Amino acid sequence: MKRATVLLVLGLLALAPLGARAQQPYYAGKTIELIVPFGPGGGTDIEARFMAPFFEKHIPGNPRFLVRNMPGGGSILGANWFAQNAKPDGLTLLATSGSTIIPYILGVSQVRYDFAKWKLVKVNGVGGAVYVSPRTGITKAADVLRPQVPLVYGGISAVGLDLTTLLLFEVLGMNVRVVMGFEGRGPARLAFERGETNIDYQTTPAYLTQVVPLIREGKAVAVMSMGFVNDRGQMVRDPAAPDLPTPYEVYQTLYNRKPDGLLRWKAYQAAVAASFSYQKAFWAPEGTPEEALRALREAIDRMKRDPAFRQEAQKILEGYEIFRGDQGEAAVHRSMRITLDVKKYIVDLVTGKYSARL
Amino acid sequence: MNEALSAALALFLDPSRLSMMLLGVAVGLVVGVLPGMGGIVSVAILLPFITRLDPVASLAMITGSLAVVHTSDTITSVLIGAPGSAAAVPTMIEGHPLARQGQAARALSAAYAASLVGGLIGALGLTLSIPIARPLVLSFGSPELFMLTVLGVSYAGSLLGKEARRGILAGLLGLLLGAVGPAPAAAEVRFAFDQVYLTDGLDLAIVALGLFGVAEVVGLLARGGAVAETTELGRGWLQGLRDVVQHRWLVLRGALIGMWAGVLPALGATAGTLMAYGHVVSSSRDRSRFGKGDIRGIIAPEAANNAVEAGDLIPTLLFSVPGSAPTAIILGALLAYGIVPGPRIVTDHLDLVYTIVWSFAAANFIGAGIMFAASPLLARAASVPFDRLAPAVVLAMVLASYQETRHFGDILTLLALGLVGYAMKVTGWPRAPLLIGFVLAGPLERYYFLTINLYQRPADWLLRPGVVVLAVLLVAPFVWGAVRAVRERAAGRPSAATAPAGFRPVTLVSLFVLAIFAAAALVAREFLPGAALMPLSVAVAGTVLAAVQLAQELRGRGGLAADDEADAALARPEALRRAGWLLAGLCGYAGSIWLVGMRAASGLWVLGFLLGVARLRPATALLYTAAALAGAEVLSRVLGVRLPPGVLLR
Repeated sequence: MKRATVLLVLGLLALAPLGARAQQPYYAGKTIELIVPFGPGGGTDIEARFMAPFFEKHIPGNPRFLVRNMPGGGSILGANWFAQNAKPDGLTLLATSGSTIIPYILGVSQVRYDFAKWKLVKVNGVGGAVYVSPRTGITKAADVLRPQVPLVYGGISAVGLDLTTLLLFEVLGMNVRVVMGFEGRGPARLAFERGETNIDYQTTPAYLTQVVPLIREGKAVAVMSMGFVNDRGQMVRDPAAPDLPTPYEVYQTLYNRKPDGLLRWKAYQAAVAASFSYQKAFWAPEGTPEEALRALREAIDRMKRDPAFRQEAQKILEGYEIFRGDQGEAAVHRSMRITLDVKKYIVDLVTGKYSARL
Repeated sequence: MNEALSAALALFLDPSRLSMMLLGVAVGLVVGVLPGMGGIVSVAILLPFITRLDPVASLAMITGSLAVVHTSDTITSVLIGAPGSAAAVPTMIEGHPLARQGQAARALSAAYAASLVGGLIGALGLTLSIPIARPLVLSFGSPELFMLTVLGVSYAGSLLGKEARRGILAGLLGLLLGAVGPAPAAAEVRFAFDQVYLTDGLDLAIVALGLFGVAEVVGLLARGGAVAETTELGRGWLQGLRDVVQHRWLVLRGALIGMWAGVLPALGATAGTLMAYGHVVSSSRDRSRFGKGDIRGIIAPEAANNAVEAGDLIPTLLFSVPGSAPTAIILGALLAYGIVPGPRIVTDHLDLVYTIVWSFAAANFIGAGIMFAASPLLARAASVPFDRLAPAVVLAMVLASYQETRHFGDILTLLALGLVGYAMKVTGWPRAPLLIGFVLAGPLERYYFLTINLYQRPADWLLRPGVVVLAVLLVAPFVWGAVRAVRERAAGRPSAATAPAGFRPVTLVSLFVLAIFAAAALVAREFLPGAALMPLSVAVAGTVLAAVQLAQELRGRGGLAADDEADAALARPEALRRAGWLLAGLCGYAGSIWLVGMRAASGLWVLGFLLGVARLRPATALLYTAAALAGAEVLSRVLGVRLPPGVLLR
């Protein structure tokens, strides 16, 4: 009897590790690699590195979360690599931004990835704000069609994030001379401050910190936000700049009707959704086990409850909400599925008026 | 301001933060020594620490590492001839010949001292200019930036070498190479041939490493023996310091050029260093020693490249516009702490700004001190037979290139440019103008189009005071040169040297250059107007000049042997055969990386080289290989580089 008990206990002890292993979280002892298809120091890279320790903390099993930069081709190279090489085991993820989405939407030939085949882990966005120089005589959005001097805008490239700005000018029927060739939004803002351009936009965080001081000094005038596309596909005011009217409102003021049915409006809203409202996303390959996806997505919920994250997130996410992949997936995929006529309109605009070559 | 200065000092002297700065300095020094790795790598290594430190500590750490990267990158540049980073190329051009002449110690001590003083001038300039820098930076419009890049290109003119035509051709080749990738003023990707790898253009670190690093390593091996041709290392430590004192105004000028290049986000660190080099050559009366080991050619660029980093902090902190990738990371780190660089940083976070300044100055001192102490030991490497060092150096260069985009294209580019660089080296083609052309091609084209598009009437920009001043600076050396040429002609000049007529190896290079330009002209004809102007005019000019060059060489009027006697010796058939085998070996290495992956291929390469070329004993060779592979493994882990498995093993 006694011997039997001892044997039983020993047997149970021997089985114990097996049981424990079966109950171990999917990610215990594993390493997740997050591919950032940009060089270190950019917005996507900074955000990924900022989120990494919070993923480590909140994914059950506390896996290591490594950020790997794989720059090139304006993020196409890294995204292509991910599409061709990442195994569906939840151990390799991809971070994307508007620069990854726009060539995909436009059907650029080098793109070998398909967002429809990936699973969304998280998504969050950013807004933008348009401002002008006081010399233009524009004091409010309703004045944008009657500037006192010709409007000059400094852009980077017609096939990048500037696409949204170009579409905005089309939607509102603004007459703006666009000068492409700046290295980034920062140098373009310097050109505005030097008086070389007189209309500019910045992402809302940069607007609040760099442009609002200029507005206070009387060196710039706020006009409107770029708008924010919510999860129901409607354009609402930018949560970080709620005082500024959206282009949707500005259009109504200017033309006394809603822009909804217009082709150019659909194109603009698609561009805002892709390159602003839903631009920063993490993806897992198709076929990733449900268990892994759940662990990743639920980590987002835990993060949002973590006071340390909330405090830090205010600085990095700038007051924009972060969505769990399963909550945002439908909206993100919808924002990337544009109809053929809208796509043709965009392609015709950039290849025609702005003579780009895709 | 004084209050903020002393508050910053107290913050900075806190032991836990001081130790973080020392960690930054250590990482910066090690990364600087590795060929081809610069500030961006060291900052990337330190990034994981940032989220775990307070703002002062992490800024002290990052600034510390940035401040010293260009102090230690001197070592490999001087001793091995592999530029520690792209900005170290001038140091390599002048310092490496000195090492071969047994004056490594002098070159190194002059470089460290110039780096130190340049860095301190940078820190001082940063302190003084923060209150007034905003209007100063804003006074530089697109036309002034355009004129500055033209000035930079004109400095390349002083680096043309013995034959001006070949120098100009090399510069044009650099401009063409810089045109690969997206055109700044028109939405078109040029010369990418449907390769995604090429759509962002070529990477500066790889271009510098290939043209100079690979070419130098092959040259040293083809010649055989150790780097130093004399066994004596030289007791030149004091001599180097004396050189710096003697050329103190040169240090100041170099530092100021570097500082300005950093302040204006258009140009970038490497351009500043190369401009300082071009400036010292163009302003020197006696130019005969440049390229063969002139200490002045080390002092000015070394002072510049440390000051650049200080200058670069100004647009980063005051405008939130970083001028380089490392300062972009500093910007990101600041944002992560909720500190927003911009107009308000001077009022809200002045103590933090001065912490950065203090860290920068202190790191310069500590870095230079450590390098002074360590160099006698490191300088002995120059007397080790080079075939013992070569496999590890090549492995480090391949790894450094590969971490740029982590694409096999990195390795192919390194190899291709290594071949080009070697051919140029052996046949006496100057390579410095090529690098300057490459570095300035982007800003030159960008600011040309911005200027003419933003200022629609030429008078609007041509008559701006800044443009006029820069134009005078641009034209003055040419007028001066013309005056001098007339005087010299009056005094009677020695007749031009001649070379044998007919087909020689050098003619092959000219033929290759002609083919490149002609092909580029054909391709560039199809580009959009805004994208075609620069590459097409460069290619057409290059085609014409290369055709003239070829014709002259066939008549025996050009294509002289290399200026450097050591390089000229490499043109002998025996050395060429050796180099041919070595380059074939490198191609084999690259091919096997593709087939069996980085780990296995590197093991084979190192072991094969040690047994076949260096003829080490098998046991020693195995031990060496294991150590080299372990080093590569550690490096790739630290850098977060995934070593590719190769197509056969996937």
